Amino acid sequence: MKKLAAIALLGAVITGAAQAEGLGVDPSAPMSDETGIRVPAGFKSVVFADEVGRARHMAVSKSGWVYVALRRQIDGFGAVALKDTDGDGKADLREYFAAGVSGTGMGIYGDKIYYGTNSYIIRWDLPEEGAPKGDPEVIVSGMEDRSQHSDKPFTFDARGRLYVNIGAPSNACMEKMRTKGSPGMDPCPILEEFGGVWRFDGNRPGQKQEDGERYATGIRNAMAIDWNHAAGSLYIAQHGRDQLASFFPDLYSNEMSAELPAEEFHRVPRGADIGWPYGYVDASIESRVLMPEYGGDGKKTTDRGQMPLIAFPGHWAPNDLIFIKGEGLPNGYRYGALIAFHGSWNRAPMPQAGYRVVFVPMDAAGNITGDWVTFADGFPGMEVVNSPRDAKHRPTGLAEGPDGALYISSLMSGGRIYRVTYEGN
Amino acid sequence: MLVSGAAFGEDAREARGKALYEEHCAACHQFDGGGVPMMQPELIDKPRANGPIGGVIDMILFGSAAMKPTDEDYSNEMPSFAHLSDKDIALIATYVRTHFENNGGYVTSDDVRDRRPRN
Repeated sequence: MKKLAAIALLGAVITGAAQAEGLGVDPSAPMSDETGIRVPAGFKSVVFADEVGRARHMAVSKSGWVYVALRRQIDGFGAVALKDTDGDGKADLREYFAAGVSGTGMGIYGDKIYYGTNSYIIRWDLPEEGAPKGDPEVIVSGMEDRSQHSDKPFTFDARGRLYVNIGAPSNACMEKMRTKGSPGMDPCPILEEFGGVWRFDGNRPGQKQEDGERYATGIRNAMAIDWNHAAGSLYIAQHGRDQLASFFPDLYSNEMSAELPAEEFHRVPRGADIGWPYGYVDASIESRVLMPEYGGDGKKTTDRGQMPLIAFPGHWAPNDLIFIKGEGLPNGYRYGALIAFHGSWNRAPMPQAGYRVVFVPMDAAGNITGDWVTFADGFPGMEVVNSPRDAKHRPTGLAEGPDGALYISSLMSGGRIYRVTYEGN
Repeated sequence: MLVSGAAFGEDAREARGKALYEEHCAACHQFDGGGVPMMQPELIDKPRANGPIGGVIDMILFGSAAMKPTDEDYSNEMPSFAHLSDKDIALIATYVRTHFENNGGYVTSDDVRDRRPRN
């Protein structure tokens, strides 16, 4: 029954991408001269900080410090703390920290600040002001870094339990990595240690991966992972598989392969199996479609896995997810989700797509209440992106400040943090 | 055989090399050779594509894991394409070494065969 309900919802949600009146950008509005991006009417964007490094996920403290994880070190540091002290919306203090590491995950729980490298989660005492000091404490270690899909983004529930995405170092669990003609392994052995969300005690130092619980499986890679505190549930957005046309040119044209599979937005209960690598989502088909590596022909379906709440266009690359608390925002935004789409690379030779932040209207129970809309776009600085390297900026991270200000990170062009605030009409 | 750069053989080789590149390489390295930042390396003005003749051949034959350590930092791993013929690998390597602002020059089927592991 849950599956049927999800399908009905899917049908309702994916039909149009431009409703939820007024909550999204006005497609006829110009991009901001100052920031190059476009946000909905009543909102304003500023460049909070430029040239910060390869910015990834972020967290904002109650005192308004913005902490940003960096994918590559700057002068030996893997994170930066930023603050605007004079109220002009631009950071005037900048302190680098996290010596000798680099990573994507960043989060605050209680009076601690947490950081995820590719293989461990560490934390410091969260200072009242500025960057954390001293040596970090290791909370989880021993998660194997196999490079592909190795970032460790995470989130916390209300009890301080830590949920870590452990992505699959694989495209479709083929016997031979990304090799045409190589079949999928069944059962996929990768799922034993990867391809899911593991849950740990966020307050217990010295845990290994095996000390955690595999909370959910069948997840190829969920850079976008967040606990919805209103609904009391975990949500993710998954990166769908690549290269259908490369490996199965007889089944998929380049045009089809650019659109397939969908990027999936899921509510994730404990014990869930999302369905990778056995199936993928095609928004025009009401069940998961059997992967061609497992005998699929583009039409055969499979009952392994769950249907998503929303099927987003293919290869958009959901890179972060937050649920809006809504202080200082109009009512329609409260409880809703923002998803940062980094933008595609696997649509070539078709133009690339994504490269935006979308808003998903939701209620306090975590149900989707309307069509998703584009909340911020214009990041690449060009109408059509043919090659990802041409994009000036690509959204990689999201955070909401205690005052309701929204932050969007980009790792391109030296790294940038945008600040988006509601100014009223 | 890929002996001289003369006559119509050049156009045919060029077209075949481009087609093979687009079939096997462009999904990741992109049609313009631009790669994907942080994920897959660009091939434009690349030391490996302008250097000794084995550099590109070995990457195609053995994949990126066998080429490590390098000073590059890309998250996706390139698989081996050793299942392709010597001729096809030579055409792809030639295409990469003579396009995307590279001037590494031609590669022959014999060059590829010489670099395959001997059993």
